[in-house]
Amino acid sequence: MTDRRREEVLIRIEHAGGLATGVSNDVHAETGVPEADVYGVATFYSLLKHPSEIRVCQGLSCHLAGSGEKIDAMSATDTPFLAAACLGRCDEAPASWDPQGENPLPEVHLTAASDELAINLAGVDSLSYEGLAAAQDNGADWVIGELEESGVTGRGGAGFPAHIKWRGVANQPVTERYVVLNADEGEPGTFKDREVILKRPHLVVEGLAIAAQALGANDIYCYVRGEFGAVRDTLEAAMEDATTAGALDTATTWHFVDGHGAYICGEETALLESLEGRRGMPRMKPPFPVEAGFRGAPTLIQNVETIATIPSILTRGGAWFRDLGRTEPGTKLYCVSGHVQRPGVYEAPMGISMAELIDMAGGVVGTLKAFSPGGASSGFLPASMINVALDFGSLQKVGSMLGSAGVVVLNDTVDMAEAALVQAVFFEDESCGQCAPCRIGTQLVRQAIERFRRGDSDALEHIAEIAPGMEQGSICGLGQAASLPLLSAMKYFPNEFESSVHT
Amino acid sequence: MSEQTLTINGVSIDHRPGETILEAARRLDIDIPTLCHDDRIEPVAACRICLVEVEGSRLMQPSCHSKTQPDMVITTESQRVSRNRQFSLSLHMADTVSDRTIAEDANPNRLFELADIHGTAGLWPHVDSPRQGRPMDVNRFIHFREDRCIGCALCTRYCDEIEGVTAITLAHRGALTTISTADELSLTDTTCELCGGCIAVCPTGAMTEKAALAYGKPEKELEKIRTTCNFCGVGCQLDLNVDRDANRIVKVTPPPPGTTVNDGNLCVKGRFANDFIHHKDRLTEPLVRDADGVLRPTSWDEALDRVVEGLQGVVTRHGPHSLGFVSSSRCTGEENYLFQKMSRAAFGTHNVHQCAAT
Repeated sequence: MTDRRREEVLIRIEHAGGLATGVSNDVHAETGVPEADVYGVATFYSLLKHPSEIRVCQGLSCHLAGSGEKIDAMSATDTPFLAAACLGRCDEAPASWDPQGENPLPEVHLTAASDELAINLAGVDSLSYEGLAAAQDNGADWVIGELEESGVTGRGGAGFPAHIKWRGVANQPVTERYVVLNADEGEPGTFKDREVILKRPHLVVEGLAIAAQALGANDIYCYVRGEFGAVRDTLEAAMEDATTAGALDTATTWHFVDGHGAYICGEETALLESLEGRRGMPRMKPPFPVEAGFRGAPTLIQNVETIATIPSILTRGGAWFRDLGRTEPGTKLYCVSGHVQRPGVYEAPMGISMAELIDMAGGVVGTLKAFSPGGASSGFLPASMINVALDFGSLQKVGSMLGSAGVVVLNDTVDMAEAALVQAVFFEDESCGQCAPCRIGTQLVRQAIERFRRGDSDALEHIAEIAPGMEQGSICGLGQAASLPLLSAMKYFPNEFESSVHT
Repeated sequence: MSEQTLTINGVSIDHRPGETILEAARRLDIDIPTLCHDDRIEPVAACRICLVEVEGSRLMQPSCHSKTQPDMVITTESQRVSRNRQFSLSLHMADTVSDRTIAEDANPNRLFELADIHGTAGLWPHVDSPRQGRPMDVNRFIHFREDRCIGCALCTRYCDEIEGVTAITLAHRGALTTISTADELSLTDTTCELCGGCIAVCPTGAMTEKAALAYGKPEKELEKIRTTCNFCGVGCQLDLNVDRDANRIVKVTPPPPGTTVNDGNLCVKGRFANDFIHHKDRLTEPLVRDADGVLRPTSWDEALDRVVEGLQGVVTRHGPHSLGFVSSSRCTGEENYLFQKMSRAAFGTHNVHQCAAT
């Protein structure tokens, strides 16, 4: 039994207006959590440490769109701001975000509505909840069987088969169980979960209700990225509408929890730590969350997109979903940003080629040079690989990954060392700092690129030793992937790393 | 004993449920280096130097944290394992003081001790970490040197798990991760009890004794003399760190965990209350007061005779129960026994007390 008072620590700091002298002591008095511990938690999260400064995104897509100039301009006028890691607004690059403002999102380009899409962002969100009704009628075994038949895999980035997680929780002897929605979308180039919740919140609510029903969970926790304020409200409103309409089992308790500005909390065990009121440092696995997750109890954690596929899988059948895919099951939401005509979220058969996806997004602005197929963690691939199938298996074979399918397109004006630096800065900023390979390695990588760009031709000589050490030694995926942008840029664009003379 | 076995470096050993790879390896006298591990504290596998190969596992596993399983095949000596150890040491050295003389200016530095054994992958550029210290901390005893910190969190975990004090914490994140108090307060303004355990567990001397640092002689040049702490009756063992050349006790350190009754722990008195030893006002010989009221040095014989004379005079004039004996909490059990014996048998009164008894 974990200390539940600790779970209130983050929200109490937020309500106190963020970290300031004395806040740790107040929260300690309110919760019994040691004062130093409260301070350690508060300083981990950007939105608690710096609750009011305007954020200017320095993610890759925003960098390509001129965030550097934006930052220079704000510095010149002494406007207070923080250069932030990706804000999840890559479609409106260069993005900024005001923690105290409304931050309206522009309409994003989407795939046209179609019945042959599992999520169908442009479709009509309805309160039918037929999938939930089917789940209630047919029972957990049938639900998990359909998931297995569908072949749906985790859309947050890991690509792990969903049915294994569901069955893993279902088979636990413990009856206290939790369903957690991972809506802490933060991978640079990724803004699909945001759109799923904004456009099809009922798919998410229904998917979660199905999971709770099938797995016997009484509590559903929705952990929504802190910078996504209105997105969380949309989801909560949908849950309330569904409850009012009598579509939901009233025995289930819904909890909506804000993230507080830490990319690493998208890692499922870091998310659990954060839910429990701790610093978002990933846990050691095993045990896996299906066995010992939130409060040490069996927990299903699923990404927004994955959850949103569940209703249509149940209403139209696992086989239908499977057949939607080209190389792997289902359709997939691809976020396209960077040098394309129409940045947006495009739902396409799993395994669509990069060339086709670029066409969907209206073509390249300029001449294609490289692309990053799955967020910062996937590194870069050259234009010559434009026919690669965008699925988990095919990209893994070429040393990259589909990840969250945050596809960033780079044209021939881009300096690859600079692009690698942007990603290196991101990983260094977002490392939790727990394990040495990631904490120190991300600093070494970033500094090496900076030195190289300043004219030190030998600056990258140690990377061949440092990168594999980080990959082998880091606790979680962040550190394991953090040197991939540089390594892949060096591999595919060797001439840009031969001499550090930049013209 | 369990029927099931596992294999480490080709040697079979019985499987004990719940045991870590590190613990099983120790039973075979196989040494696995660690930086962030202490047997008294829950493992976090943060330093990653203890990674070993486990058959069937794509990534190497942290031996401090991974539990053994029946039929596990573990390799702790291989090119891959060795490369990771060297990587790990080079990595940490890039983030801390890389000049050995400076790195060992006060406390021992485990990074260099391990580098002597395992080698490094070379000296990499220094990362110039933005980690913050706590320059406004005015406590007199414990100094945090952020340039030597390797973020292993042994100090914060010791403070939390062993002492139950939680005066210090990991603060901030990533490259900025540092050791802090709440609001960066001085330790003396926190729950800190100044036990100095953070210094004892720190592998790099990032947590260090202020007075010993000012004294300026590295611990490795001091001679350790084991003694029993006499501040209370527990019997904690402590090592006086003595500068023989100057005949001075420079600081006190606890013997390693698992070797003495105090298991590597000390309290504020045992660790820091030693400046009386070389204090100019300390009594170093018996003194008696003459009729003129002035103290003069004398022999023990004369001094004790005076004590006997005085106490017996009180008994003669007012009876034995007019006397009361109070012994110090610094006395050992044996000394306390003798003391009450003296009170009861020699003077005939039960008026005897020991100051730590209430």
